[in-house]
Amino acid sequence: MTDDVSEADADLDFDMELEDDDAGEHAENIPLGTPCLVVDDLHIVFRVFGGKQHARAKRSGAPVKDPAPVKRSVVKRLLGAGRQHVGAVSEVHAVRGVSFTARHGESIGIVGVNGSGKSTLLRAITGLIPPHSGSVYVDGEPALLGVNAALMPQMTGSKNIEIGGLALGMTPKQVDEKFDEVVEFADIGSFVDLPMKTYSSGMAARLRFAISSAAIPDILMVDEALATGDAAFKARSKARIEEVRQQAGTVFLVSHSISTIEAMCTRVLWMHRGKVVMDGPVEEVTAAYRQFVRAHRQARSGGRAGGRRRKRNEKD
Amino acid sequence: MTTDSTTSATSGDRGTPGRGAERPPLPEPPPPIVPGTTAAERRALAEQHGLTKMGVRPPLWSYVKDVASRWAFIRVLGTATAYAKNQNTYLGQLWAILNPVLNAAVYVIIFGLILRTSRGVENTIAFIVIGVFLFRFVEQSVNGGAQSINKRTNLIRSLHFPRAVLPISNVVSHLATLLPALVVMGLIVLASGLLADYDPVYITWQWLLLLPAVALMWVFNMGLAFIMARAVAITPDLDNIISFVLRFAMYGSGVIFPLAHYVGRLPESVQVWLEPVLTYQPIAVYLYLGRSSLMEEDAFVQDPVMWILGVVWAIFFFVVGFIIFWRGEERYGRD
Repeated sequence: MTDDVSEADADLDFDMELEDDDAGEHAENIPLGTPCLVVDDLHIVFRVFGGKQHARAKRSGAPVKDPAPVKRSVVKRLLGAGRQHVGAVSEVHAVRGVSFTARHGESIGIVGVNGSGKSTLLRAITGLIPPHSGSVYVDGEPALLGVNAALMPQMTGSKNIEIGGLALGMTPKQVDEKFDEVVEFADIGSFVDLPMKTYSSGMAARLRFAISSAAIPDILMVDEALATGDAAFKARSKARIEEVRQQAGTVFLVSHSISTIEAMCTRVLWMHRGKVVMDGPVEEVTAAYRQFVRAHRQARSGGRAGGRRRKRNEKD
Repeated sequence: MTTDSTTSATSGDRGTPGRGAERPPLPEPPPPIVPGTTAAERRALAEQHGLTKMGVRPPLWSYVKDVASRWAFIRVLGTATAYAKNQNTYLGQLWAILNPVLNAAVYVIIFGLILRTSRGVENTIAFIVIGVFLFRFVEQSVNGGAQSINKRTNLIRSLHFPRAVLPISNVVSHLATLLPALVVMGLIVLASGLLADYDPVYITWQWLLLLPAVALMWVFNMGLAFIMARAVAITPDLDNIISFVLRFAMYGSGVIFPLAHYVGRLPESVQVWLEPVLTYQPIAVYLYLGRSSLMEEDAFVQDPVMWILGVVWAIFFFVVGFIIFWRGEERYGRD
């Protein structure tokens, strides 16, 4: 239960960088094409095992008050414990009725506090998490930038390039052709013949990004992939994303860095508790969101009397 | 923004805590926007531009083609998984062979040498070793298939591919570990002929029949893996029951001792139906095929009926399993 609690806590935290090295840059405006993605009243509901009510209320952002410790008989407490741990299935409504249309050549950023459903929405419009209700219509095949889950740390870099490329749907021949390009883009040199677990985290992140961007999809989804890597690498990633847009593709970007969003997106969706609260041109939405984040931060730092540890302990 | 009292600050929070200050109300984001189009308009728009609906199960035939086109991925994923499993040990890939050998040794010692349950069989060691090696393949495929979807939720949630790739590649990885083990199995059978009590064993052309027997078993195992993958993906609790069912299957298939002797002791009315069930159920059939290939004994002569049954069971389980799995395709990854 402790883990659940801390996770739920983290969900409501901000993890924002307001200042960044790519501040001031702006995404190129590319003339918009025809619609390539239509999302119609999308709902995503997760089944959660072993956590009742409490987790659900937390996730949805509803005010959860810890029940005052009432004295209960031993029998009742045992029964209660049973209900918590046996057959406890609850549902988390992560995305609640989202509708929007995206056009060819658009670059859409998704912002929102942790737990607002950004990543879930991104995976749902990629078709990776089946919707509970509602539907997503696409032109072409959307792909999430990220093959991390397919890669095996015990295997060598070159084996992982093969696995990742095939996982992305490339043929063995295409993987062969792209091999050198991937190695060069990842900038790992002779490390390519060593197991991936021996890589530094920066190297591993670069290789992952290089593998995932080897295939250029019609609709590219990026989820915080740019968080790691040095400045030079960031610039190259941005170039990759521009490349997709130039080929009339559409890019979706989930990032905690407002300046990254400003630098790479033309349109922004602001998610809050599973719903879209704002959708518009990048300057407009980020300005409003920035203000919200600042106000939120101030409000919280003002009220933070006890500090983290004590609150945790009370909770446990 | 309403949050509960436990929401705490993190590293992202750079403000200095004001001691004792009352917490001001947290700011609210704007209210959710109301989309400018109705559901019908959006659907019409999607149709107008020829967009396809996502998360719809593909028709069976195109699904089959899709899976077939991913063969390279299946093979690489399967062999890499098999290789990675033994990567973090000093003996490394040797464990792929040592594991089944030790496993077989336990049964040979307990059932073959101490309990002497193998009545009616001349070469007890060959009988048990072949049974244990081949049954292990079924056991691993069932266990691996059962977890192939649930353990790989992350992969499912980050890439598009026909999900049938996962159970298939899982069985492929077990096949990849089985093949070198089969060579060792053959050597053990050969060596058992050198023991004083046993008739000598010779390599004959019949040994080659082990390969089609294993191939049929592989097809059958994929069918089982499909069924288990769907069942456990939807009801994770079933994963706990599998090991018990498998133990039943092991004793009910004559893996370590022939069942004929024990069935013969049952009342006539039970024998009538139990005997054919135990003899012709798929696992028993494949063990028979394996043993008849390597062992020269009256109890295990080449039997065309068994070969036909082996083919029938393999195709039946594969087709049924594949369809069962395909029918759940759009649900994998949702939890």
